[in-house]
Amino acid sequence: MRLIVFILGVLSITACSDLGVKPWERNVLAKPEMSLDSAPLTSALDDHIYFSKEASSGGRGFGGGGCGCN
Amino acid sequence: MKHKKITMALTTAACSLFNATPDVQADESADLGEWDINAAVLYYTESERVSAFEPVISAKKQIDSDESISLKLTLDSLTGPSANGAVPSINPQTFTKPSGNSSYTAPANEAPLDDTFKDTRVAFSASWEQALSRMTRMTLGGNLSKEYDYLSLGTSVMFAHDINQRNTTLNAGVSFAHDTIEPEGDIPTPFGIMQPTGTTQPRLTGTDDKTLIDVLLGVIQVVDKDSLFQVNYSYSQADGYLTDPFKVISIVDGATGLPIIEDATTNLSQVVFENRPDSRTKHSLYTQYKRNIIGDVMDVSYRYMFDDWEITSHTLDFRYRLKTSETTFWQPHLRYYQQSEAEFFRPYFVSGQQPGVGADNVYATSDYRLGEMTTYTIGLEYGEKYHDHGWSIAAEYYLQSVTEPSVKVGQLAQQELFPDVDAFMLRFNYDF
Amino acid sequence: MPGIINRNITIEKTDMGFTGMFDAMASPCEILIETHDYALAKKLVQIAADEAWRIEQKFSRYRNDNILYHIHHACGEPVEVDDELTPLLNFAEQCYQLTDGMFDITSGILRRAWKFDCSDNIPTHRTIDELRSLIGWEKVSWQPPFISLPVGMELDLGGIGKEYAVDRAALLISQVSDIAILINFGGDLYATKPPKSRESWQVGIESIDGWNKTGVIKIKSGGIATSGDARRYLERDGIRYSHVLNPKTGWPVEEGPKSVTVAAPRCIDAGFLSTTAMLNGKEAKSFLEVQEVQYWLQI
Repeated sequence: MRLIVFILGVLSITACSDLGVKPWERNVLAKPEMSLDSAPLTSALDDHIYFSKEASSGGRGFGGGGCGCN
Repeated sequence: MKHKKITMALTTAACSLFNATPDVQADESADLGEWDINAAVLYYTESERVSAFEPVISAKKQIDSDESISLKLTLDSLTGPSANGAVPSINPQTFTKPSGNSSYTAPANEAPLDDTFKDTRVAFSASWEQALSRMTRMTLGGNLSKEYDYLSLGTSVMFAHDINQRNTTLNAGVSFAHDTIEPEGDIPTPFGIMQPTGTTQPRLTGTDDKTLIDVLLGVIQVVDKDSLFQVNYSYSQADGYLTDPFKVISIVDGATGLPIIEDATTNLSQVVFENRPDSRTKHSLYTQYKRNIIGDVMDVSYRYMFDDWEITSHTLDFRYRLKTSETTFWQPHLRYYQQSEAEFFRPYFVSGQQPGVGADNVYATSDYRLGEMTTYTIGLEYGEKYHDHGWSIAAEYYLQSVTEPSVKVGQLAQQELFPDVDAFMLRFNYDF
Repeated sequence: MPGIINRNITIEKTDMGFTGMFDAMASPCEILIETHDYALAKKLVQIAADEAWRIEQKFSRYRNDNILYHIHHACGEPVEVDDELTPLLNFAEQCYQLTDGMFDITSGILRRAWKFDCSDNIPTHRTIDELRSLIGWEKVSWQPPFISLPVGMELDLGGIGKEYAVDRAALLISQVSDIAILINFGGDLYATKPPKSRESWQVGIESIDGWNKTGVIKIKSGGIATSGDARRYLERDGIRYSHVLNPKTGWPVEEGPKSVTVAAPRCIDAGFLSTTAMLNGKEAKSFLEVQEVQYWLQI
């Protein structure tokens, strides 16, 4: 049940297709610091620390490789 | 009026107009054929507990305008002790090391720590991204991770498809991994009782494994010229050996709260090896919002996770990249994490109430990482970025605070079963 | 109605091959192709027509969905332009510098003041001065690939649009086939190479206004462009004002030739030189002499 509410929540957030910009308006969005994962090594290092110290992991994307730390 | 002959300059100017290949949509940062290299090193240390030193280097090469590969090598060196799951006592305690050949002691009134975990891990991952059509891309990944007693092999595939003039990107991917563990001291019997050194430990088998399947579905949406957000739903299924072979649960006297003595000659406390279910299903919803604010960048994300171990967690992460000049920035970082305890979380057993030795359909763990816990991270990063290289340095403070059980018998009421663990992290990044 | 494109293409058989005809950029366009392969001819004409219509839409002042509309309505904010517009604006900037500001793509707004309808309606100095404050490439911030125009200024690519389209069509055709072709977009020409069947292409200098042929140009390869229009002028108090406007003063260039035709390696080169010659007014001939190019004047 929780799962259904969950997925509906996701779908409703994404049903906004009138958002957006024209191709020539992407100057800011194209900057490297505006990319969603602008520091991938930092994210990977952080993810590994939190994976080994907490009960949750991932969410952002696929991690690279398991370890014996959890 | 004297006229200048301008035909030469004109021809040069017009030439540049027609030399560009038509229809180029290039926006990749790496020029074709060159390697884009990022390196980082993390130093992590908990006060009086484990320390880790982790260098990592990654290289990405744009092979063609629609194809790239990426390689990453990570080294992870762990030293120092961590909690073994037993409760503290007003008396010193002794425990047997996983090898069964030696023992270690825990001082009175301190959470017992085992420092067997000196290990180095090497991990290698590679990924290959290829455009399948103008609006669709596929990324194939493979990874390998090896420690003294652990091997993980995995592969993944992810598809990304753009719609709405690339304002919306749909992502779908699946990953598969197989991990093998061959711990020193073998896989212990669930709820087996730790024996003194030199005698036979309760062992089940030498090696075990687990498989992990992850599915990710996500949407990236551009909101306006300054902002965008991402929503991901992940499903994760783990099957196999999910128990920590080194963690134990104390057996205490129901009245005094003192750990039962298993062997008086060695002062060995009575502890049983923990046992976790052989399957875990997790669902998580992750959302991230990034906004440009007059050159600064705000990055905020939230993740909600729930699983069939009855753990629910919330993660809130906030970063603000303050642009102090064209080439320098400061970035404060705040992270808040809260999780509920696993359904089978048992800080200790009152003598007689523990499951029988070998009961593998009953589950219990006193590993604080599955307990009710709140963690806080606060950090600050400083960096400099030039057109062909950049670096940054960050310092972070990480506090893990586990909720004490509400019921603590006897002497345990005076003990802190799960003291706060604080850690300091230092990270240096270099890109070129 | 501006903005609506008539996409009819007709292909006629000629003694040396085929001629494809269509309308683009308010001009009759034709492609002369030396081949007896009808399918190939049809394909090449389609390529040229599609490219002409693409450029027409991209640079049209009348559309509200192209990059030009966006640049004009950005209220002074920087707009990122693409890999086609960046070299074009760089070229326009170099033309501005080479002519000390006479060739200026921001001068298009002068058309609002000057309506060349052979009447005696001359705009007031006040009107011209107001428009002049909105003219001048030096007022534009061009840091490739970002352009910002002060509010009220406009870019007019009409002066180089047709010639650019001719050269682009020639480029695209040459990527498909290397046979001899002549592209003619309303008097702006480009020939890839001389036809096999005769020594050179023969083009009459004749504008859309239907002058009598005043000469025949023999062209082997390269571009030819013509500036000028004898039919469009204003006349008041015995003074004839031609329709070529000086961007610095806002007034028509005085005593210039009725038309200038120049031959140059590319059509866009030829177009720039013929326009600049016209802007030089009575100095047109001496300017062209210094450039050492082939030219024809009509006084």
